[in-house]
Amino acid sequence: MSVLSKFVSPLAALAVASSAWSHHSFAMFDLDKEVTLEGVVKDLQWANPHVWLEVDVPDAKGGTTKWSFEMGTTGMLTRAGWKSSTLKPNDKVKVVANPLRSGERSGRLVTVTLPDGRVLGPGGPAPLPPNPAA
Amino acid sequence: MVTRAAVLGLMSMLVAGVAVSADPEPAGKASIWGVWLGTNNLPNPDPRYRPTPWPAVELTAWGAAESKRLTTPETPDQCMPYGPMAHMSATSLFPLEVVKNAKGILMMFEPSSVPRRIYTDGRKHPEELDPTWLGDSIGHWEGDTLVVDTVGTNGRGRPLNGYVAGAVYSKTDTAPRLPVSDQLHMVERLRVVGGGEYLEDEITVTDLKTYTRSFTVKHYWQRRDDLDVLEYVCADNPRSADEGHTGSSR
Repeated sequence: MSVLSKFVSPLAALAVASSAWSHHSFAMFDLDKEVTLEGVVKDLQWANPHVWLEVDVPDAKGGTTKWSFEMGTTGMLTRAGWKSSTLKPNDKVKVVANPLRSGERSGRLVTVTLPDGRVLGPGGPAPLPPNPAA
Repeated sequence: MVTRAAVLGLMSMLVAGVAVSADPEPAGKASIWGVWLGTNNLPNPDPRYRPTPWPAVELTAWGAAESKRLTTPETPDQCMPYGPMAHMSATSLFPLEVVKNAKGILMMFEPSSVPRRIYTDGRKHPEELDPTWLGDSIGHWEGDTLVVDTVGTNGRGRPLNGYVAGAVYSKTDTAPRLPVSDQLHMVERLRVVGGGEYLEDEITVTDLKTYTRSFTVKHYWQRRDDLDVLEYVCADNPRSADEGHTGSSR
């Protein structure tokens, strides 16, 4: 038999809250590392279990490299201010992401700056109510 | 004055074997109907209505092995239902809608494809239960408290404190999973508190295949009728199911 004590501190619980109840582990992403990339939207895959954003990023050879970024569910994104039409192909964006540990060109989206300057996140806990309870 | 019709109605119900809850369901601010959002890790709710931490628990040998098995980054069964404990996890990521129907109560949790059905029509648990993801739930009112008894789960639901696997989320997350088995017995006492703003669920877990003794936790939701429970079809994007997270195009 083994004994587990109160093993999750409040801060640790807060840090992993989003991933702990997500669809899958986020172990494949390096959550301690961020990359910032600018490019052109190729596709916004508005579907569950996760929404994906694909961006063509200019490379050193004069071409582009496709990056894929994973976000939350469509419900989470809707509550965070997204619509399925928020990004369209050829929109210019700046993405901050936690990259895959494997080195493949993919990551967990942290923020995306839209062409109109708005900055959106990947979804998470629902926003506060319009009139928080006293 | 008791009318002849009322007496006949009561007699017919008794003949039909229909039991009646001792107390009527609460109404108004004490009503449990509507949309609720778990207070787990939300910044705003009253601190009196945040979930209690998981208590120190003692795992059986089977439970310890199962906990170790689940503490991996592997993520099988990603789109399967959550099981009753995870359904009632009070996460702030997804709302829970509680609806009255003819036979009792439906609890719809956004990311789970299967609604939780709590029968309050007086029935008992069946003598022989075929295991299901959410088990068999029966309930009755005791004053302002809905008492729900759940058995008959298949043991494949998510652990008490997270996803079915994929337990290693980051370098700082080494928390062991708290598994559940097909011997899970949940007794819940649900009531509205905080002047009608919060739903409290006191859950006593008895799963002697996994834990050496019962334990009790409290979960809370905030009333959030400004939110809608949105559609969630987990199998919609084959990319995640079939291609993993390699970043390749679908």
